[in-house]
Amino acid sequence: MISSDGSTPIYVQIAEWIETEILIGNLKHDEKVYSQYKLAEMFTINPATAAKGLNLLSDENILYTKRGLGKFVTAEAKQIIIDKRKNHKLKGLLEEAAMEAKILHVQDEELLLMLKTIMKDSKGDTR
Amino acid sequence: MNVIECNGLTKMQGNHTALDQLSFSIKEHTITGLIGRNGAGKTTLLKILAGHWKETSGEVTVFSKRPFHNLFVSVNSIYIDDQLAFSTTMTLSEILNEASRFYPNWDKQLSERLFNYFSFHENQKHDQLSKGRKSTFHMIIGIASRCALTLLDEPTTGMDAAVRKDFYRALLRDYLDHPRTMILSSHHLEEMEDLLENVLLIQNGRKYLHLPMDELKEYGIGVTGRTEMVRQWIHNKKVIYVKEVGKNATYAVLKREGLPLEKAKQLGMELTPVSASDICIYLTNQTKGGIDDVFK
Repeated sequence: MISSDGSTPIYVQIAEWIETEILIGNLKHDEKVYSQYKLAEMFTINPATAAKGLNLLSDENILYTKRGLGKFVTAEAKQIIIDKRKNHKLKGLLEEAAMEAKILHVQDEELLLMLKTIMKDSKGDTR
Repeated sequence: MNVIECNGLTKMQGNHTALDQLSFSIKEHTITGLIGRNGAGKTTLLKILAGHWKETSGEVTVFSKRPFHNLFVSVNSIYIDDQLAFSTTMTLSEILNEASRFYPNWDKQLSERLFNYFSFHENQKHDQLSKGRKSTFHMIIGIASRCALTLLDEPTTGMDAAVRKDFYRALLRDYLDHPRTMILSSHHLEEMEDLLENVLLIQNGRKYLHLPMDELKEYGIGVTGRTEMVRQWIHNKKVIYVKEVGKNATYAVLKREGLPLEKAKQLGMELTPVSASDICIYLTNQTKGGIDDVFK
């Protein structure tokens, strides 16, 4: 689950893993998230790295701290994550695709058609 | 609180300067990776911190005390490498028993469990163990002693991949339950980097970098593109490593901080992350280029 290939820092991967837990509903509003020590044990990483991942989410108002009790999921968490991923991750992926298309001289229509086909196929998969 | 403080620490070995004006401090309950090429001074530093060797000049304190021949430091710290010498007449279980008498925090249950997990036999003799088995046995002592300062010098020497993995996991789990200050030296930064909070990189007995592991991972950036363009772009920038790859293409590693990376991308250069292990190798290269230059 955690990869050490160096392309994404471990603490970002931890933050993203918790985000996904929230998105798929494994962690709900006002629920307590794993402590830095639990995360360290789960992923065999330094607890300071895990704490950095948790703090990243606190800074973005995805988690809030109850003094002495730990970190909990905010009411807005899910929406914040969705907005953020749309604007950064999804947009970034599309930018990469656009760049590649440019290098390969793929026309706009062709690219859009490819995207539509992929979306259609992936919908078929979930059924 | 700082467990270790060094200020201008210097160690002479004959005419050779093994440690040269080394200054750094290490906070309590952190795991630090001590990284450096062969002969960089890693072992010398660890032996001075453990109180085995005496510094030549400068200041060094461990638990606010000068470590050399200090009983307090000796009881609260342990130094483990692959050359620990034990009496040839003692069995492995007798050795563990003696160790438990010396170290006040020794966990007998943990040492016995690790001993059984790694399939050691009570009546085995230390000098009959293979290199990897010796390291594994030493690791049991290193973990079970639960010393406030645990110094592990190349702890995985000779261990096979499965044992290494088990070792790092055991070390981390016991650290989570019983926080302590640890320094691990290794040639295998990539396999222990997830465990580390900080990295101390030394070269020729001098401090090169001392920073959080996460920052080391983002310290450098690799740039690949047409040789002309790369050469021009890296001019006046902090270049760590340059290598020609294929026909008319160059790969350069630069210090990431403050670089106009978006611009590089727009120019058509490819950006790639540089692993912590690679950046350490590039930074401590004695020569520009690499082994390929020998064959030119």
